[in-house]
Amino acid sequence: MAKAKEIPGLSAGLAFSEAAARSVAVRTDELFGHATDVLDMDEIEGVHAMRVATRRLRAVLELYAPCFDRDELRPVLREVKALAAALGARRDPDVELAALDAFLDVTGEAERPGIERFKARAQAQQLQGNAVLAAELQRIEDIGLHVRLLALAEHVRR
Amino acid sequence: MKARKVKHLDPSGTLADNAARLAAVRLDELCDFVPRALDAPAVDDLHAMRIAAKRLRYVLEATAEPCFGAYARHASRHAKALQDVLGDIHDCDVQRPRVARLMAEQREYDAAELRRRAGSGDDLAPDAAAALPGADAWAGLEALDAHLRVRRELLHQHFLELWTGLEREGFRARLEFALKERPTA
Repeated sequence: MAKAKEIPGLSAGLAFSEAAARSVAVRTDELFGHATDVLDMDEIEGVHAMRVATRRLRAVLELYAPCFDRDELRPVLREVKALAAALGARRDPDVELAALDAFLDVTGEAERPGIERFKARAQAQQLQGNAVLAAELQRIEDIGLHVRLLALAEHVRR
Repeated sequence: MKARKVKHLDPSGTLADNAARLAAVRLDELCDFVPRALDAPAVDDLHAMRIAAKRLRYVLEATAEPCFGAYARHASRHAKALQDVLGDIHDCDVQRPRVARLMAEQREYDAAELRRRAGSGDDLAPDAAAALPGADAWAGLEALDAHLRVRRELLHQHFLELWTGLEREGFRARLEFALKERPTA
């Protein structure tokens, strides 16, 4: 899992609103920096990194909520939550499949067919999750979520 | 689980003072799950406690270093450890019913096959049960179910030990103290 990027100049005495602007801008760029190759089902760590990035972004949006215009924050927060849910729809079967593969590596021949049958369901869920994620990535691009988040950060300074 | 509302956050105040208020509420939220989440069957409470640990972890991750005493960074790692073990318990709690569901479906599928083999007969001969479609699946599904059951028991035991260790080291009191400290320049 990628380490969180440092927020430049963050200190105990920094004005809360300035900390909000800097934190949201960095966490937003961090989130969208993970968006490439996230639909590649052979490389599951990308989804995990992007999901963790949504959590970090949500954490700062919630922490600094009083600094933002309520009407501007709420819809953006809702979109970030929707993205997190779509990432979860892909990530959960990814994790399950990795665990089942580890199980299959060490299991006996007698157990294999039953586990393979269960695994087939997880694979179907992974495919479905990937489709959900693809649609969600397209949707957030269409609604300009990246730009809206950066604008939210910038408006705090006004 | 909806996060508790944090009162008295002040946009014109400092980062540290506001973050301390928020982290204190998230810490209370986490600690209030004890003792009820210490019961092994408390599936919903364990899941909600994981979410509370996650919320505390991320607020500390975002603010501990610039704002608080050194223990806040340790507490962030403790919150992550709690989140991880509670997450693994949750995975077992989600997966076991799905294995059970597949087994139930398999039974129904085999029963349907037996009805087909019986045709219009008045009884069912023992040899009709030979080589049913689900026959090869049972060993694996039973092994998976047993594995999940015992893994869940062990993980819950680990969670109890982790929590006891945190109580022993004074996790709550030390974090509350660290939230009042400010790093020296």
